[in-house]
Formats: sequence, structure tokens, C-alpha cells
Amino acid sequence: MNIYDFILKKMREVQKKAEEDQPITNITASAMLAAELTLIASVLVAVIMVRLIHPVLMIIMIAAVLIIAVMARPIMPRLRKEQNDDLNNMMFYIVVALGIVVALFYWGNLNV
Amino acid sequence: MDLNALIAVMIILPIASALFLNLLHKKDRTIKIIAIITAVVLPIIPLLTPYGSHFFGGYLPLAQNSTLAQGLPAIITGTQLSQFHLGIMYVFSSAQQLMIFILGIITFFAIFTFINETKKPSGVYAFLLFMGTASLSAILLSDDIFNLFVFFEIAALAQVGIVVASGIKDNYETALKYILIGNIAGPLLLLGIVMLLGVTGNVNVTDMIFSIKNGFVDPQSPVLLMALSLITFGWLYASGLPPFHTIKSEVYSKALPHGAALIQAFSVFTLVAIGIIIIRLFSYNPFTHIAIIGISVIAMILGITMALMQTDYKRILGYLAVGELGYIGIGLGLGTALGITAGLFQAINESVITSFLFIGFGTVLYKTRTSDTKKLGGMMYVNPKVALLVLLAGLAMAGVPPLNAFQSKLMLIQASIQSGLPEIGIIMILLSIVTFMTFMKAFYTVYMRPKPKELEVLDNKIPKSTIISLVAFLIICITLGLFPQIATSSLQTLAAGLV
Repeated sequence: MNIYDFILKKMREVQKKAEEDQPITNITASAMLAAELTLIASVLVAVIMVRLIHPVLMIIMIAAVLIIAVMARPIMPRLRKEQNDDLNNMMFYIVVALGIVVALFYWGNLNV
Repeated sequence: MDLNALIAVMIILPIASALFLNLLHKKDRTIKIIAIITAVVLPIIPLLTPYGSHFFGGYLPLAQNSTLAQGLPAIITGTQLSQFHLGIMYVFSSAQQLMIFILGIITFFAIFTFINETKKPSGVYAFLLFMGTASLSAILLSDDIFNLFVFFEIAALAQVGIVVASGIKDNYETALKYILIGNIAGPLLLLGIVMLLGVTGNVNVTDMIFSIKNGFVDPQSPVLLMALSLITFGWLYASGLPPFHTIKSEVYSKALPHGAALIQAFSVFTLVAIGIIIIRLFSYNPFTHIAIIGISVIAMILGITMALMQTDYKRILGYLAVGELGYIGIGLGLGTALGITAGLFQAINESVITSFLFIGFGTVLYKTRTSDTKKLGGMMYVNPKVALLVLLAGLAMAGVPPLNAFQSKLMLIQASIQSGLPEIGIIMILLSIVTFMTFMKAFYTVYMRPKPKELEVLDNKIPKSTIISLVAFLIICITLGLFPQIATSSLQTLAAGLV
């Protein structure tokens, strides 16, 4: 199964779970594939910046991102499902983000 | 230090006009005249106002006011108390002038389009647009963080009002969600401000910096660090950076095109204003810059990839606008003079281009009453001139030369390479290409593919005012693209002061 067919299959699965009845067109499948590749490429390039902390850590993180990208692909249908307009979902991510921001600024600065 | 009363007019005029318009009902002609006069005057005032500062309910610091200082005990005049500002201070320099001018221009075209596209213009709607503009002008000018918070809340309410007034399906739900989320983020921002007040004994940003730099406050104080984290969280909400990108893009999509154009300008300038305060207060802490860059990279990646998967063109624009906010954040986060100048220049460009796109694509909504790209097509035949203008707006957003975002994005890439972070430059180039692809996907589905049989195109002619607005935005894009120094020369002083 090539990656395009795999993306289509995954999109159908996610739509079925979300009980969406929209048709999957060539444009939506191509957009999803492009978004998937953009996400992986951008994250990989961003992880290279870890070299400023330690080169070995960078290599480990790149390997981890590659493994996750292969194992969890396609990521975008799931990401789209998570990033929806549901207030509960929004609130969940807002609380998570608040926790991360406070932890990084507060304990991150006090313990360096 | 000159006291400059015209600075106050930039806020008082739109508020006064908004309050008056709010009282007018079924007086369409009066509403139109007052709204247009106010909208015309708004971008002119910053051009006429000399640089300086203005105080509300206070005096110059005692150190600069010998008359007032006479006879006061040495415990006041001989300590840092003599340096503190006693009233709410507004500061107006070349950067504020440019940003408030651009905000005024966007407000003018939003009002101009609204009045001509609406048969019976609502005074209440004009009230919301002007109140938002007044709030943003105050946010850009204020050196008092509590005063900034008050206007930040007014701007948030104005945005909710603009969504409620749109009449678009599910707009009430979106407005309610934005209010509920604001009920978490707003108080947390206020708590951060209160903590700053508790530690420094002040709400004036210049005075707080004085206290931190001169050792009156421990920079590693846990309360100060907590304040930084809460203010950063409030900044994310105000500007629509992740995790608030979903609700912000939804807010854009549930507003009318002229309202969405103005709301996105509010987000851009709030991002800049609060971002600058965070950098001014906490730049001593290297983690501040790392956090701003990290959040901005996430915003770019999430905004642009999510835009790619949308089928509603207003939602596509909403997510693209969030992605573009990331570019501004990168500039601020790099922390160099070039980076900050590029970030501020990108803010100016993005506010103009996104308004251009919202109003341009808004013509499709005006003609078809739908924004679902699956139901659209063939709009190129309906109005080829508007299609060309929208295409040029899309090219501007993607950073195609000789349009304005090309210059700011190029500066951002140069700044990232100079800062030793070429990876950020690569990500920006990659995402600019994807932005172009996303835009072309929307443009193709709306304008270029055959018109679906079931699509009904209304006979109402697109008002000339809308075309004039689009051409004006294009002229600004080309002018800033060919002569970027018009903007960058105004922004460099502020940027240099932040390094």
C-alpha cells in the first residue's frame, strides 16, 4: 500500500470514528498528505536546533522523531481530529499549555 | 519630556464617536456620515501628533519636576521613589505612529466597506469597530500595564460583539466559547500583573524595569517568574497563538469580512504590544527568548498545516493568519535589532495583507452567501478584477517579490542566520511555500474550477468601495515592498531600544 492509499484509509477511519459523512476528495487527501510532510519536515528541522544544547541529544531526538513519524503516520488526521472546535478539547489543551508554560518558566528558571 | 495632548485624542476620538454612534438607531445617513468622518480622521491624527508622552491623572516623576519636589522629605526625593511615574503614561514614538496609522487605515477600509455593503448600517456595529480600534491604540501607547489590561478586556469584548453581530450560522456559540476561554486567560493575565505589582510596587513598565535593573527587585524572585509565565499565557490568548489558535481562527471565520479584517489586526497589534512588554521586562532571562521562539515555531507549523486541511476559505485565512503571527513572534524572540525590526515590519505587513484577503474573499460571501469551498467554483467569471486582486493578496502573504511580506520575511531569514539559528530560516522558507500552496488551493476551488450547477450567484453588484479598498491595500503592499525603509526606519529605534 503506497502512502497516498494509506492516508486515504486513515482519513476514512478517523472520519468514521468522528461520525463525519463528508466525502474524501482528491483535494482533501492531497492536502492531508502535504500537511503530513510539512509537519514532519518542519519538526525535523526544528529539532536540529537542539544541537545548541548537545549534539548527541540532537541525534537522539531526530531518531525519536523519525521513529514516531514512521510508527504513528499519518499524524495529520489525528491532529485535525484533536484540533477541532469542541470547547472541551480547547479547554483541555489550554490547561495543558498553562501547565507547560508555568512549569518551564517557574521551575525551569529556578533549577538551572 | 513634552506633554502631548494629541496622544489622548487617538483614544478619546474613536471612543466618543463609538458612544455617539451607539445611541443612533434607524438614522442610517447620520451613522454613515459620523462613521466615515471618524474613520478618515483616525489615520491622520498619528501623522499630525508630535512624538512625546502624555499623563492621565498624574505628574512627571519628581526627579524631573523640581517644583513639586520642593519641600518633600529626602526619603522621597532622595530614593528611587523620585524616579517613579505618578500617573498613567502614554508614550508615542515613530513605531507607535506607524502602527496606529496602519490600524487607522485598516479601520477606515473596514468601516468604508461595511457602510457600503450594508443597506442599513448599524450604529452598534460601528460602535464595536471603533471601540476595538480605540482599545488597540491605547494598548500600543500605554506604558501602564494595568491600563493595558483594561483596554485588552475592552478589545476582547469588542471582538465578541463583532462576532455576535455578524449573523453567521453558529456565531453565538463561537462568541460564547471565546468569552468562556477569555474567563480563564484574562484573570490569569491580571494575576500576573498583580504579582508584578506586588514585587515591584508599580504598574508602570518603565518603573518596573528600573526596579529590576537597579537591584530593588530580585530578578530570580519566584513571584516574578510566576508573573512572567502568567503574562506569557495571557499573551498567547490575546494574540491567538497556540493553544488559542483554534478559537481565534473560529472567531475570524464567524465575523463578517470587514469585522474579521479588523479583528485580525487587533490580534497582530496585541501580539506586538504585549510581546514588547514581555521583552522589555524579562529580556534579562534568556529563557524568555527561547520560549517566544518555541511558541512561534509551533504557531507557524500548526497554523499553516491546519489551514491546508480546511474546506471553509474563511477558516483557511484564519489559520494562515495564526501561522503568520508565528513569523512576528520569531522576530521578537530572536532579540536582535534586525530580528525585532523584521518582526515589527512583518506585523505591519501581515495586518495589511490579511485584511486585504478577508475583504477580497469577502466578495465571494457577498455574491454567494457561502464560504464553503466544496460548494464554490467559477467565481473568476463572476468578477475577474476581484479575482486578480485576491490572487495578488495571496502572493503577498506567501512572500512573493516585489510585495511587502517578501521584504519582511527576507529580513527575518537574515536575522535568524545572523543569530546562529539558520534552521528557523529554513522552516520559514518551507512554510512560506506551503502558505502559497494553501492559498492556491483555496483560490483554485473558489475561482478557477468550473462553477457547480447548484451554486447560486446573487445579482447584487460588488460595491465600488470594496474594490477601492482592495486596490488601496494592494498599493500599500507594493509601496512597502519596493520601499521597505518607509516602515523599517520608523521601527528601528524601538527595536534598538529593546536589545
